[in-house]
Amino acid sequence: MGPITLTIVTPLIGALLLALAPRARERDVRALGLGVSLATFASSLWLLSRFDVANPDLQLAESATWIPSIGARLAFAVDGVSLVLILLTTFLMPLILVASWRSVQDRFVGYTAAFLVLQAAVIGVFATTDLLLFYVLFEFTLVPMYLIIGIWGGAGRRAAAVKFFLYTLAGGLLMLVGILYVHAQTGTFDYLAIRDAVVSGRLVLSAAQQTWLFAAFLVAFAVKVPLFPVHTWLPDAHTEAPTGGSVFLAGVLLKMGTFGLLRYAMPLFPDATIAFAPWLIGISVVGVLYGAIVALMQSDVKRLVAYSSVSHMGFVVLGTFALNDIATTAAVVQMVNHGLSTGALFLLIGFLYERRHTRMIADFGGLAKQVPVMAGLWLVVSMSSLALPGLNGFVGEFPILLGTFATNRAAAILAAFGAVLAALYLLWAYQRIFHGPLETEANRTTPDLTRREIVVMAPLIVLIVAIGLYPGPLFDLVGPSVDRVLAEVAAVAGGVR
Amino acid sequence: MNPLLDVSFAAIAPELVLTGAALVLLLVAITRGRPQLVMLPVGLATIALGAWVAIGGDLVPGVVLALLGVAAPVLPIVLPGRATLVQAWGAGLALGAALVLTLWQVGPVLGADGGSLVASASFAGSLASDGLSLFTRLTVYLSALLVVPLGYAYLQERRINRAEVESLILLAAVGMAVLGGANDLVTAFVALEVLSFALYVLASLARRDRRSQEAGLKYFVTGAVASAVLLYGLALLYVATGTLSIPAIGASITSVLVPRGVAMAGLVLVTVGVAFKVALVPFHFWTPDVYQGSPTNVTAFMAAATKAAAFALLLRLYLVAFPGLQAYWVPVLAVLAAATMLYGAFAALSQHDVKRILAYSSITHAGYATIGVLTLTRAGLSATLLYLLTYAVGTIAAFGVVIAVERRRRGEVTLTNLRGLGRTSPLLAGIMALALLSLAGLPLTAGFIGKLEVFRAGVDAGLTWLVLIGVLSSLVAASFYLRIAGIMFLDDAPEAVAVAVDGDGDGDGDDVEAMEAAEARMPLLSAGLSSAVAVAAALIVVLGLQPQLLIELAGHAGVLLR
Repeated sequence: MGPITLTIVTPLIGALLLALAPRARERDVRALGLGVSLATFASSLWLLSRFDVANPDLQLAESATWIPSIGARLAFAVDGVSLVLILLTTFLMPLILVASWRSVQDRFVGYTAAFLVLQAAVIGVFATTDLLLFYVLFEFTLVPMYLIIGIWGGAGRRAAAVKFFLYTLAGGLLMLVGILYVHAQTGTFDYLAIRDAVVSGRLVLSAAQQTWLFAAFLVAFAVKVPLFPVHTWLPDAHTEAPTGGSVFLAGVLLKMGTFGLLRYAMPLFPDATIAFAPWLIGISVVGVLYGAIVALMQSDVKRLVAYSSVSHMGFVVLGTFALNDIATTAAVVQMVNHGLSTGALFLLIGFLYERRHTRMIADFGGLAKQVPVMAGLWLVVSMSSLALPGLNGFVGEFPILLGTFATNRAAAILAAFGAVLAALYLLWAYQRIFHGPLETEANRTTPDLTRREIVVMAPLIVLIVAIGLYPGPLFDLVGPSVDRVLAEVAAVAGGVR
Repeated sequence: MNPLLDVSFAAIAPELVLTGAALVLLLVAITRGRPQLVMLPVGLATIALGAWVAIGGDLVPGVVLALLGVAAPVLPIVLPGRATLVQAWGAGLALGAALVLTLWQVGPVLGADGGSLVASASFAGSLASDGLSLFTRLTVYLSALLVVPLGYAYLQERRINRAEVESLILLAAVGMAVLGGANDLVTAFVALEVLSFALYVLASLARRDRRSQEAGLKYFVTGAVASAVLLYGLALLYVATGTLSIPAIGASITSVLVPRGVAMAGLVLVTVGVAFKVALVPFHFWTPDVYQGSPTNVTAFMAAATKAAAFALLLRLYLVAFPGLQAYWVPVLAVLAAATMLYGAFAALSQHDVKRILAYSSITHAGYATIGVLTLTRAGLSATLLYLLTYAVGTIAAFGVVIAVERRRRGEVTLTNLRGLGRTSPLLAGIMALALLSLAGLPLTAGFIGKLEVFRAGVDAGLTWLVLIGVLSSLVAASFYLRIAGIMFLDDAPEAVAVAVDGDGDGDGDDVEAMEAAEARMPLLSAGLSSAVAVAAALIVVLGLQPQLLIELAGHAGVLLR
């Protein structure tokens, strides 16, 4: 069994054990969940150690038969992009589970199992090289996430869960038709074979075919990212999801969209990529500004961060479709950064909510005196999210703007306003929550972070600072893979076959 | 085995067993508590027959017959004084035997790698033995085998488990299987009537339940009209072509000697008749009432097996008899399929009765299955057959859960009755959710495989627009499946149940009362129901995770006798 399979199977085994012992004591469930997620993380580190950074190809391939009569295989391989996203997933999972120890009282077994299954499916999405399996896992992630939002979420959880499910399903089904169409043209679901056929010119799709296929894939991924104007499920899902769900949603699930664009939509339909790029840049700039402005107006701090996600993911798509190696590589780095910063923000909001059972900014004020540790961490994480130099957000966002400036000056300038607005809404929220007079009784008695919560936050803070100060390795890891995608797009669309 | 008569017992072995079993079970019922009067002689005769067949060289059917012969007298001994249980076990064993015999018929082909089924005819061309007939048998017998245990305790409790129930199910199954293989117009019509008559009675089984009466009557009237229209159409086809044989009609229908007007009139009437039977919009209107009013196990049987059989007729007529006229019927049927997919999904949105919702869902699924027919390809045929099987499994599991909830309530099951089921009986609710996910076609369930194959065949054949309508309909359908799942898992249980479950433990009167109220609302399982539902759920998962064998089988089954 290779490292990829092990990384996928480990959480599944954990989920299976939990399914076999639905009445297990909560303490055992906690221990099992933590142990399994740490083992998965270890397994992904093994995957990293086996990975050849200089090689831009998909590596460490593993495959097994699945449905031979339609040519679908359980085929996996990773490149730099999928590897960092897998690492992000496995890194966040133990933190999510530990952070949920107190906040989720009801049916913790199911909660843990749902997360482990979800994790396995997401790792599969990032690692698979079979189009059908990609679709299957991409769509399957809906089920556990639907349950996580729907069962353990807040008051409006049902509507939010259904909205999340249907939006994503709509996009996914269109992608399925696209995948089937590609299959009808090529006779295979093997991504590598199809990509090679495109690159070598054996598979030439007409401009119209490419446009439709790209659009089909784009809808699926745009919903997931989410791009303006199909982002409307995200604020509800984020607000109603339990803390762990929000962290996973922001940290990992949204990345399935940008990952899909980079892995599938761009290399497979290069002409359409070039044709769509200006439009997507336009849409993502709108998303950056729209998300930021709406975030500015939120009174619920979780909703605020949810809209900031729309804005930040706009940056990622902007960088991706700037189609130059600086911006696109930085876009992948920014996927990781957003996962860490926004994940950390959602964790802090969750901790605050557990103490106060409110997320309304107006209910707080002056908390910095009462909860200095939380305030400090909040400030660091906000700074990271608003791209302060020296923290991780900067090393992602700045090159995106830099690279975009080279290809599309107007978009870069407009998007830069998004960065300014980010500073405004994040700092303003921080100020209203933690500064000012400590007036109400509830604020005066809010306890500070516990040791467990600090332990959960610590790895995130360490990474936020480490990537900010020393981003080289991360860029080295994703750079070659991104360059390869861009080279393929340029080669085919530029007519060099 | 007189060659002059061209009787091939092997070709109809499963049907012979079932017909025999149906007759024996009816005879047992009239012995009034002395089943051995029938079982013993029949058992001995069957053992002798089995031995003779085995010696004749057909080991599998011989052994199957011998085992059935042994089972016949043993059943009343191990189940003394439980006449209805003997009936159910008898029917179950016969269906199991039929399934084994069907696999025996398929077996030689399965073993050979890559080979397709070899189509052949028997009974002077009246009965086809090809992929369509074998796969339809498989679906029908599997459905019946699941439905018999599913409904036993339910019928028992509603006091409608009369002696003829199992025999009627068996006879209906025989009609369906023969319909799958019917290779001439008369055989097809007779088979259709056999299954329809059995189902008319089954639908109105609950004599004291007005809704069941209504369902039976409605089914009978609309079914009779549909049969009449269909018969008229078949007659016109005969007039036009001068032959009853479906392949011969297919060969001659485009000939200049065939009066085009008459043939077209026949096509139109047949289309209407068949659309009635498979419930394509706008000929679907009987479905919700009939599905809602019939006893739930009968509904499950109708949804799963009747659909497969009616589609077998549709497939054979359109792919064997009418390919020559495809320029006329493909657009019409495509529009019907599109309308069916959309209407079924949207109409289900506003329903509250779970059986009605599942009825509309069955309408929607008929639309998807039609996509495979419209491709006019072998892959499309295989896809439709596969789709019908995956749909059958999913829908039986769903109706099974409805039965469990319905039994305590003795009435209709509305969405509110499912509230909090995820908390009170998580396993049952989990199976329901699984079945709904499968019906919605979500990945890693059997339903996804069916949908994938149908969509794939559609896209391959250039029917992308129809597939996109299918996508839209799946999306709408997913929203109501999701609504049911949401009600089970995301809503809290109704007050009384919540009190009883949480139990303040002070042991006062209200608590006991609440307990009783809660008890009455708890779903009730019986061994038969749980095992049938569990098997269906297991099939959903297994076929969803590892569908290779089934896809291969369906691929081999894409063979029609022409």
